[in-house]
Amino acid sequence: MMPQLTNMLSPWQWGLLAAVPPAIIALYFLKLKREPLEVPSTYLWHKSIEDLHVNSIWQRLRRSLLLLLQLLLIALLIMVLLKPSLKGTAFNQNRLIFLIDNSASMGATDVQPTRLDEAKRRVHELIDQMGSSDVAMLVSFSDSARVEQMFTDNRGELRRRLDAIKPTDKPTAISEALRVASVLANPGRSATDMRTDTAVAEAQPAEMFFFSDGNFVDDPDFSLGNLSVAQPVWIGTQDPRNVAIAAFSTARSETNADKLQAFGRIENSGLTDASLDVELLLNGEMIDAENVSIPAGKSRGVKFDLEQVATGVLELRLIVDDHLAVDNHAWAVVHTPRKGRVLLVTPGNEPLQMALRTERAVETADVMLKSPDFLSTPEYRAQSAAAAWDLIIYDRCRPEAMPQANTIFIGALPAGELWSELEKVTVPGIIDVNRAHPLMQWIDMSDVLVIEAKPLVAPAGSTPLVEATEGPLLAVGPREGFEDVVLGFELIGADKIGTNWPVRPSFPVFVLNALSYLGGNRESQAAGTVQPGRPVASRPDSEAEQLQIVPPHDGEPVDVARGKHGVFHFAGTGQVGIYEVLEGSKEVDHFAVNLFDPRESAIHIKPERALKIGHVETESRSEWHEARRDTWKWLLLGALAILVFEWYIYNRRAYL
Amino acid sequence: MATSEIPLLTPDLLAQLERLELVSRKIFRGRIKGERRSLRKGQSVEFADFRSYVPGDDLRFVDWNTYARLDRLFLKLFMEEEDLHFYCLIDASESMNFGTPTKLDFARQLAAALGFIGLIRSDRVKIETLGQPAGQPGATWRGRASVWRMLDHLQNVQPGETASLSQGIKNFCLRNSGRGIVVLISDLMDKQGYDEAFRYLTAQRMDPYIIHVLSEEEVEPDIKGDLKLVDSEDGDVTEITASGPLFKRYKQNLNAFVGGAQEFCARRGMSYLFARSSQPVDQLVSGYLRKRGLIK
Repeated sequence: MMPQLTNMLSPWQWGLLAAVPPAIIALYFLKLKREPLEVPSTYLWHKSIEDLHVNSIWQRLRRSLLLLLQLLLIALLIMVLLKPSLKGTAFNQNRLIFLIDNSASMGATDVQPTRLDEAKRRVHELIDQMGSSDVAMLVSFSDSARVEQMFTDNRGELRRRLDAIKPTDKPTAISEALRVASVLANPGRSATDMRTDTAVAEAQPAEMFFFSDGNFVDDPDFSLGNLSVAQPVWIGTQDPRNVAIAAFSTARSETNADKLQAFGRIENSGLTDASLDVELLLNGEMIDAENVSIPAGKSRGVKFDLEQVATGVLELRLIVDDHLAVDNHAWAVVHTPRKGRVLLVTPGNEPLQMALRTERAVETADVMLKSPDFLSTPEYRAQSAAAAWDLIIYDRCRPEAMPQANTIFIGALPAGELWSELEKVTVPGIIDVNRAHPLMQWIDMSDVLVIEAKPLVAPAGSTPLVEATEGPLLAVGPREGFEDVVLGFELIGADKIGTNWPVRPSFPVFVLNALSYLGGNRESQAAGTVQPGRPVASRPDSEAEQLQIVPPHDGEPVDVARGKHGVFHFAGTGQVGIYEVLEGSKEVDHFAVNLFDPRESAIHIKPERALKIGHVETESRSEWHEARRDTWKWLLLGALAILVFEWYIYNRRAYL
Repeated sequence: MATSEIPLLTPDLLAQLERLELVSRKIFRGRIKGERRSLRKGQSVEFADFRSYVPGDDLRFVDWNTYARLDRLFLKLFMEEEDLHFYCLIDASESMNFGTPTKLDFARQLAAALGFIGLIRSDRVKIETLGQPAGQPGATWRGRASVWRMLDHLQNVQPGETASLSQGIKNFCLRNSGRGIVVLISDLMDKQGYDEAFRYLTAQRMDPYIIHVLSEEEVEPDIKGDLKLVDSEDGDVTEITASGPLFKRYKQNLNAFVGGAQEFCARRGMSYLFARSSQPVDQLVSGYLRKRGLIK
């Protein structure tokens, strides 16, 4: 195969080279231009010049200077022949994708100033090493990915965009970053910026560089396609200190609704034991504190009993000097306990009505009792559409359309085609109860007998709560922000008893669970423990069509319009802290955004951590893959410069 | 170079020179009676001294009046007047052919002026160039009538002689062994130096005057840029780039050169005069040389 000549120089470099011969020729002509002048005698001139030669240190060095220059020139030429190179990073491709993790854990300060800054510094280094034909793309990722800069060879732009990447408090998910990267590297995609990348529609291989601390779950299902992954260098140290609040919630006392309990779980993810003060603040004022000692790698719970707390914002604060600050605070919003509004539509169901009349049930919810005829009245239609009830229980009847409320269907199917049922079975054997679900807490179904039932075919995304041999008998399914619970058998039939469940102790417990879980009580008590970056659905008791949400740390208020089903959706939860919901200037609600991510809080780097994407497993290294970066071009340029300088010295010898 | 258009002697200068005469700090014996006093007592009208008669003395010079009064014989001695040998030695090398007017023109004018003074005072005047071979003595002039012959000879002095300074002076000394005043007009630009040449002159019992003439362009060089200086005599090339430090150094060397020659001459009883070729000759003769005692 014939060797191909490769253009290794950019146009300006060619230009510089092309300028060298004219420069030498110009010097040559300059040399010729020395005009002869006849003088009576050169006696004095010669003497003067010799004197100058003797006196000039330059002249004294002139001969040796020329010699030195010649030696240097030869040395450089020899070095050029040796093809020297600098230690640099290997770019296997000339299309580079820099994936920069700006999740919460990258704010750790075990690497000064922060891990994110260190990542940026390393990207800067790589940008510096980019060749003239290399193009690079910048992607920042946390739980979502963001293309900071499309493929470009404009290094200044890359650096500027790189510097603009800001830390977030969000957890890390790598999948979206990978998808974004693959969009431009794999076939069938097109660039959005045609000016800077005209050829991107053709699939071109690209190399991904991860700048992360590895605090994410690998994506083994991702297909790399044309992408290749450089060996990652995890940013961070192996023994940082971090104590984190892993959970923080409040609960009303079981015996006294005025009493509030705050529970926190504090994890020490560092390698040394920690002893620290935990402070609890209510609306910014400290109301309690506790000193806890947590061994390395362990977690401890803290519990605070609070009296007479009706509403407000609780903050749990760790007084500790560790490397990650974002998880040292947690917030919880305490709402006034509100009774659920429940509508029971039944032709008559004494056991159910009895269960709804228990002391706790009455405390939890206001129940309105209606007969199935009510479903066809305009009043029902208006109120169900306006979300007047938190929970509607349909006993052996079904509405024409699903209401804006949680529902429980007993012996009937919800409206629409989503739910269906199988053939009637007799005495189905109950084989499993999903006790992990809040609805089924403390429920024991072992003594329950069902005479006849129609096993359910629940829609996708639903959870079976009670399963029999033939299929689920009780299931809960989501619907546009609400949940539908469907019971596949009748509690009491029209003419006969269908099951013995109503006389078992588990039945009133289930009803109570249903009132708490579906009746709105849960939402109002534990509202707002969302993770950063997750959307918040707020249903304040407000009639306004537009609310303002003020992010923490005096952020810019954001206007949020009422969405479908009367819910206000807000996605700008990038920072941890308390978000205020304002109607005009009136505070109507709060919600808290907390990190609560053990993975983000466990900030120590595991050196053996490999990166597994698709079927490719890339081992981490302590440094980037080294490569020879040819420097002979620069040496040759230097040799040329020395040659020119030597020529100059030689011609100025009379002067020097 | 063609014969100089510059008149060697202007009428004004001649009028000025009429009143001057060459002076030597030493008194030399001339070959014929001249217009100056000799050390020797001789036959002139000016009485000098008496001395006792010894047998063989010319009886005509016995002072008979003294013999009558003292009864002893005394001889009357009279001052004897004699002429002066004036030599002018011109450096006619190629390097003298520079300047405005050229150094050679200046040398010819000066030689003409000094020679004229000598001639009108009946001194023996001889003008030679350094390139004149040893075995070829030049013409000698005496008397006002010879002025035009001398000037004619001077007109024919051409630059381009190649003899070195020391060789020329050596030849001169071989040709002219007598005493007298010798005036050397040269730029002394000889790469072998002037030391040896001057030693020949001091070895002769002569009264040497060195008139060191340099052109304006040598004293105040006005050159710019990168130049290749070519020596007019040996073609030697020196490449220079005009610069402040170089001019400074050149000045220093020039001063050292002139000062060195001056000191050399002073130590050996030679008179040294520095002149620029642009200086008017009359000014030099009537002012400078008078002050220095060559003429009065």
